[in-house]
Amino acid sequence: MPGGDDRASAVKNRRLAQILLGTAAAVALPAGAAAQRQPPPPVQLASAETDPDLSQLSIEELARLPVRSASKRDEPLSAAPTALYVITGEDIVGAGVTSVPEAMRLAPNLQVQQVNGFEYAITARGFNSVETANKLLVLMDGRSVYSTLHSGVFWQLRNTLVEDIQQIEVISGPGGTLYGPNAVNGVISVATRDARETIGGLVRATAGAFERTAGARYGFALGETGAVRAYANWFDREDLARGPIGPAIDDAFQGWQAGLRADFAAGASHFTVQGDIFDNDVDSLPGDGHRGHNVLARWSHDLGAASSLRIQGYYDYFERQFLLAFDSLQTFDLDAQFNAVMGAHDLVMGGGIRTTHDRFVNNLNPFALVPGSKRLWIYNAFVQDRIRLTPQFSLTLGIKAEETSFTGIELLPNVRIAWQPSERALLWAAVSRAVRTPSRIDRQLEFQPLLLPAPDFVAEKVIAFEAGYRGQPTARTTFSVSVFFNLHDDVRTTDLVNSSPVQVRLANGLEGHSYGLEAWGNSQIASWWRVGYGISTLFKSFRLKPGHIDISGRDALGHDPDFQLFARSQIALTGRLQLNAGLRYIGEIDSTPAIGAYVEADASLSYRLSDEIELYAAGRNLLHRTHVESNDPDRAQLAQRSIHAGARLRF
Amino acid sequence: MRAAGRLGAALALGLALALALAIGPARAQPSEDAVKAAFLPRFARYVTWPPASVPVPAAPFHLCVVGHDPFGGALDRAAGSELIDGHRVAVRRMATASQSAGCHVAFVRGAQPQDTARLLAALRQRPILTITDARAGPQRGIIHFAVVGGRVRFFIDDAAAAERGLSISSRLLAIAAGVRQRRG
Repeated sequence: MPGGDDRASAVKNRRLAQILLGTAAAVALPAGAAAQRQPPPPVQLASAETDPDLSQLSIEELARLPVRSASKRDEPLSAAPTALYVITGEDIVGAGVTSVPEAMRLAPNLQVQQVNGFEYAITARGFNSVETANKLLVLMDGRSVYSTLHSGVFWQLRNTLVEDIQQIEVISGPGGTLYGPNAVNGVISVATRDARETIGGLVRATAGAFERTAGARYGFALGETGAVRAYANWFDREDLARGPIGPAIDDAFQGWQAGLRADFAAGASHFTVQGDIFDNDVDSLPGDGHRGHNVLARWSHDLGAASSLRIQGYYDYFERQFLLAFDSLQTFDLDAQFNAVMGAHDLVMGGGIRTTHDRFVNNLNPFALVPGSKRLWIYNAFVQDRIRLTPQFSLTLGIKAEETSFTGIELLPNVRIAWQPSERALLWAAVSRAVRTPSRIDRQLEFQPLLLPAPDFVAEKVIAFEAGYRGQPTARTTFSVSVFFNLHDDVRTTDLVNSSPVQVRLANGLEGHSYGLEAWGNSQIASWWRVGYGISTLFKSFRLKPGHIDISGRDALGHDPDFQLFARSQIALTGRLQLNAGLRYIGEIDSTPAIGAYVEADASLSYRLSDEIELYAAGRNLLHRTHVESNDPDRAQLAQRSIHAGARLRF
Repeated sequence: MRAAGRLGAALALGLALALALAIGPARAQPSEDAVKAAFLPRFARYVTWPPASVPVPAAPFHLCVVGHDPFGGALDRAAGSELIDGHRVAVRRMATASQSAGCHVAFVRGAQPQDTARLLAALRQRPILTITDARAGPQRGIIHFAVVGGRVRFFIDDAAAAERGLSISSRLLAIAAGVRQRRG
């Protein structure tokens, strides 16, 4: 057992490790997980009882009629047997959200911590903090954006125009065969709108004491069956106040992102080509910030009634600079997927190849990745069969094999059963194996002679048992509940090397289990009033495996609340005036120091002056001037109340 | 300071709530689905089918919902009030494309986008006006609904209509948000 001095040096090591991990930079990811699934369709409630008589209108009048958007918040009652929540674009715009990570607060199965002016920690089913929220797969229009550096997601690189987002699918739990590695505790898939559905122009500007934003897009038809849109998004956020334990960071954040998306149809084929470029700055030191670009092409083709083929390729580059640490990542990815229906079998198979090249330079402290630059190759292949045993009952068997030039082969099987007794109810259960493949930091981080590299670090593993119900208990209500029990193994520890009091190495020393419940619902109380509510709970229990000592104090388990509660209300005050409000209760996070439970609210009031012009005022974190969401010792600043006024013009 | 801020926020919320109660429910604005349901039986009015497919006198046009039905009773009501050249519009609902014989118009929506693609492909050989919804995925029938600028609009693939022997009137083409022209 380490003595007092050892503990002191262990604490120091831990701090150093955190600094390094924190300043560590980015790479993209292994995993051929690029969106192998299109978003499923939402089920809508027929609320026609309250609709006026349309039968007297001409067809031209119908096409000019402003409509109340249908109940888009309803989760798709798709056959997908997973815990799935869908955030729609209308939810995001209606809530006055101005950034992608803030939009994630709308999903009750995610835990969101604003760490500072530009960083967020987001996870599902536990392990939250900037460094440990590393078990989530995030896809932006099919581009996988978690980082091979530390397996986490740099949300500050994702500044899509929020008005372009069609929906965000949030799956808690392993997503199944089709999503591949790092979809351990969840999958977030952000989909932007088809260019053919954004013809015309849009300009938005917001201003407030804390934040200013501006965005614009223009879409036009190209040829007979295609369309193109271009967009630009700009933001300028103020510095946040110093956090509970760490230093003040000059975290004012400003920058822009711009891009194009084109969609074309030709017979049974559909082409998509899109790309983005961005540049943003953090005030910490001159030159700090993030730059990057990407381009993606996708071709889908229907091969007759029973099969289809999809091929996708992309290139992605980004670089980050923060406090004398620099990193960059270049990714090429190519995927193919083939779907076929053969009798009662619904087959999906495919594969992908990805290569990443990273570079990491740290002039801040002695932590280093060795080698400082590395190319990784990642291959994957998968097959899944959904067997319709009866019209109501289906069994899904899937397996994915993934091999990387860095860590070897992993097999990820899953079994799912789904019973759909009626169109209004789906009951499902699943058992899956998922892994978090080692990141560069897990294996190759060094601080000689204190921290040794860990070439034997293996994947963190989970076997997840899940069951759930999703349905429409009444015509005006949707409801979903799921429970999970996860068996975890080989979770990261910081071990002493040969009981040496000074040398440490990352290892796979923790095992344990976690379980919890996630439930949410939506009710259309009246034609003008809709409410949503949700809860998620989490219990974790871990122990050290024989022969391991974790001097980091189980840092890899992250900092999670035991439970969260959400409520939202959307009220159409008149045909032109809309009031949306949300309330969240985040339970206490048991850590040192603890983060107290808090209640926060957001609200947005919007007025449609005419068909073209919308004015609105929105605020978030309304109940307190500041509050603590993260206790990251080096980065956490205080989340703060923010109110802005905005205008949106469409033409 | 902090208490004052909280009080201010509570007051703002209270004020908003009072405003909500004072103004009361919204003026009835039709839902997106109700407008789509109103469109569906109308389309047949602006389409000419090959002679073999035109219903005989007193027989109805068949409006089929293939796969998932998001409209429910709204579609039945809309179809019930429609009379096209003396033909009623009858709504039929079916899970698969195999029962689609006799359909004139088919709203197609699978559980997943790829299911929609399969259903559309299965209907491709027949003189059926296929209709899809952008909300269900990118797959497009001859008519494809999309909400544009807060209104229910639609795109028309006139080339696909021509392949199936359907002729779409210029009045309908004129109000489409986009048209893929037929060849020649």
